[in-house]
Amino acid sequence: MTAPGRSHGRRWRPGEGLGYAMASPAVLTLLALTAFPILYNLWNSVHYDNLLNPAGGHPFTGLANYTKVFSSQTGLLAAVEHTVGYTAISVPVEVALGLGIALLLDRPIPGRGICRALILLPWAVPSVVSAIMWKTLLDPQTGGVDYVLGLLHLPGAHITWLNASVPTTWLAIGVIDIWQSVPFVAILLLAGLQGIPRELYEAAQVDGVSAWQSFRRITLPLLRPALLVVLVFRTLSAFLIFDIIYALTGGGPGTSTTTLAYVDWNAFLTSSDFGLGGAISVVMVIAVLAIAAGYRATIKPATA
Amino acid sequence: MSERVAWDIEAAGSPAGGAGPPPSGRAGQRARTRGSAALALALCAALAPAACGGGGSGPQQVPLGARQTIVFAVQGGISASLGSEGRATGQEIAAFEKAHRGITVQVLPLSEDVNTSYQQVTQRFLAGSSTPDLVDSDSSWPAAFARAQWITPLTHFGLDPAAFLPGAVAATTYQGQLYAAYWYYNVEGLYYRTGLVHSPPTTPQALVADAQQALRKDPSLREGLAFEGNKYEGLVTVFIDFLGAFGGKLDPANLDTPANLKALQFLHDVVYADHIAPQAVTSWTEQNVQDAFVSGQAAFATNWPYLLGLAEAKGSSVAGQTGFIPFPSQTGKGVATLASDVLTVNARSTHLAADAALVKWLLSPAQQTARAIESGDPPSVRAAYTRALFKSAPYFQVDEKVFAAAVPRLVSPNYHQISADIQAMLSSVLANSQTPAQALKATAQQVAQLAKP
Repeated sequence: MTAPGRSHGRRWRPGEGLGYAMASPAVLTLLALTAFPILYNLWNSVHYDNLLNPAGGHPFTGLANYTKVFSSQTGLLAAVEHTVGYTAISVPVEVALGLGIALLLDRPIPGRGICRALILLPWAVPSVVSAIMWKTLLDPQTGGVDYVLGLLHLPGAHITWLNASVPTTWLAIGVIDIWQSVPFVAILLLAGLQGIPRELYEAAQVDGVSAWQSFRRITLPLLRPALLVVLVFRTLSAFLIFDIIYALTGGGPGTSTTTLAYVDWNAFLTSSDFGLGGAISVVMVIAVLAIAAGYRATIKPATA
Repeated sequence: MSERVAWDIEAAGSPAGGAGPPPSGRAGQRARTRGSAALALALCAALAPAACGGGGSGPQQVPLGARQTIVFAVQGGISASLGSEGRATGQEIAAFEKAHRGITVQVLPLSEDVNTSYQQVTQRFLAGSSTPDLVDSDSSWPAAFARAQWITPLTHFGLDPAAFLPGAVAATTYQGQLYAAYWYYNVEGLYYRTGLVHSPPTTPQALVADAQQALRKDPSLREGLAFEGNKYEGLVTVFIDFLGAFGGKLDPANLDTPANLKALQFLHDVVYADHIAPQAVTSWTEQNVQDAFVSGQAAFATNWPYLLGLAEAKGSSVAGQTGFIPFPSQTGKGVATLASDVLTVNARSTHLAADAALVKWLLSPAQQTARAIESGDPPSVRAAYTRALFKSAPYFQVDEKVFAAAVPRLVSPNYHQISADIQAMLSSVLANSQTPAQALKATAQQVAQLAKP
């Protein structure tokens, strides 16, 4: 919809009112779907609001719900720690592996097209489906993982991976998440790599620059925009990890694999505690915005 | 309002496509009016669902004789699931529809996983939906649903409390009112192989000794004791059996007791000290336990009565050598946790008369007996335990003895949160990541806050 001209003062130009009228359903829908839930959630987070207990009413509780999020007694602080720890470990591993694969696929190797298509497959599987598939594979009695480890005489052939010990459970979650996310990282970085002019490498070669030097001085700086995108996407989705945990461990063993998104779901849907759930959501939104802003400040794309 | 909206649509719509002369100032004014009309229209559209959902004072009821469709939410749906419960439900509904011309029962399938189906139901109630009319609920749900006023008391349904087996009424009564009807009677008991264990154990220690001996005697056995160790409600019902075995109790106000600690230690020890259960039980649900027992690789197994029918069926490798008893207890009186499916009715249902008819139908002795024979679900009403039932399925006589030991679960509107905390505690003990004493102490503090009604 194009406006015929600028409006002067309070007087509407012909057709302008109609323009607003035509746009208003979309604007109202957007407001209803975004602004209203955000404000409602903020309101909830400073009130008591448990739908399973209507008699409790909705008294103002100040920051009580927020204190719960950072209290060790409620077990929610542990979820904060798990989320931060998991993000800090999984994202660098995923980006490093993805970069390695992207560099490999950027070379003229035989069967490159097929490799590129195949590598995307894990990413194309919905994560709940892949979590359930891996859960079956990791079953110590009927699963394939222990069987193959046994055939190859490798350690771990008789391990109960899930919910039997904390390290193996996290290892399983990490492997599945990496298996699923690395293709995404690799493809995005590959696209970035292909945007780098070949002449730069040729010139560097003529000047006798080592492979490592040309990676550090040419590839990395020019890959910055792609890296920023990848890091933002991966960090945010690692920070918001839910589906793998839900399908694979249910937060177990004990509460050792609970994450913020998991406890948020639990507060909303198990306890129907919209106050606490709202507070957790607000904390997550703020953390996610801070992460994005942090990346933006540290890795400024060359074109910005 | 609808008339006005229709008028607004016409008024706002007619000139929009017109390719007339450029609008003058007056036309602009008109456009502005049209703009606000369209705005009002959009607002109406946005607010209409809220206005509809508001509801007045008590829903208008559809009389029994009228043509109507009621929605019945069934865990696992009516496809074959555990045993053949789904098929039995389908047959009962078909018979009901035949006997009640005009009433159609639409089945809303819920997940087989009790944690998931709880959320499916809660979400519909939270949304204020008048359907499902009837909900096949876990017996731990009614207290929470009743406090939230989502379900209606069954006081006017004409049910006779004395008709039910012991414990069934107490387990579904909240603040003095009956909120649910036991559909069938389910207890978590102990299965054992009569060929391997000559006399059933009478204490938990004897159970461990018997299991160890059986493992030594029969190298084809893989588990001395198979149980549901996954982090879910099923583990809680097993734990309530263990609690009873040491004279303990699931009391959120007073959880950290010496008897409860013994039970938690027992759970730990069967895997890590006595080695009668594999670590793999940490992901086991009923299905895994069933597979282990029916395939003949377990000496003992905790499970529900439905397994008895499967174990005694032709082709089972343990047919003719299955015993079913309450879980042995140091106190001398064995225990079997009562945790079954109950029928609850949506407080917003507009088909209460038809709902009552279906509830009564499902609880009638004839249907209860038919269901028991078809699916192995033990009837919840005494009158259904007939000679005919025993003739076609003699093991129900065994069940009756176990039922005498039934212990209802805690009736609390906060049961779900209490159970979630207990599940986390049990899971961390089973993973050996916390000692039983530490885990019990920490969890006792958490659930104490949920003890208030």
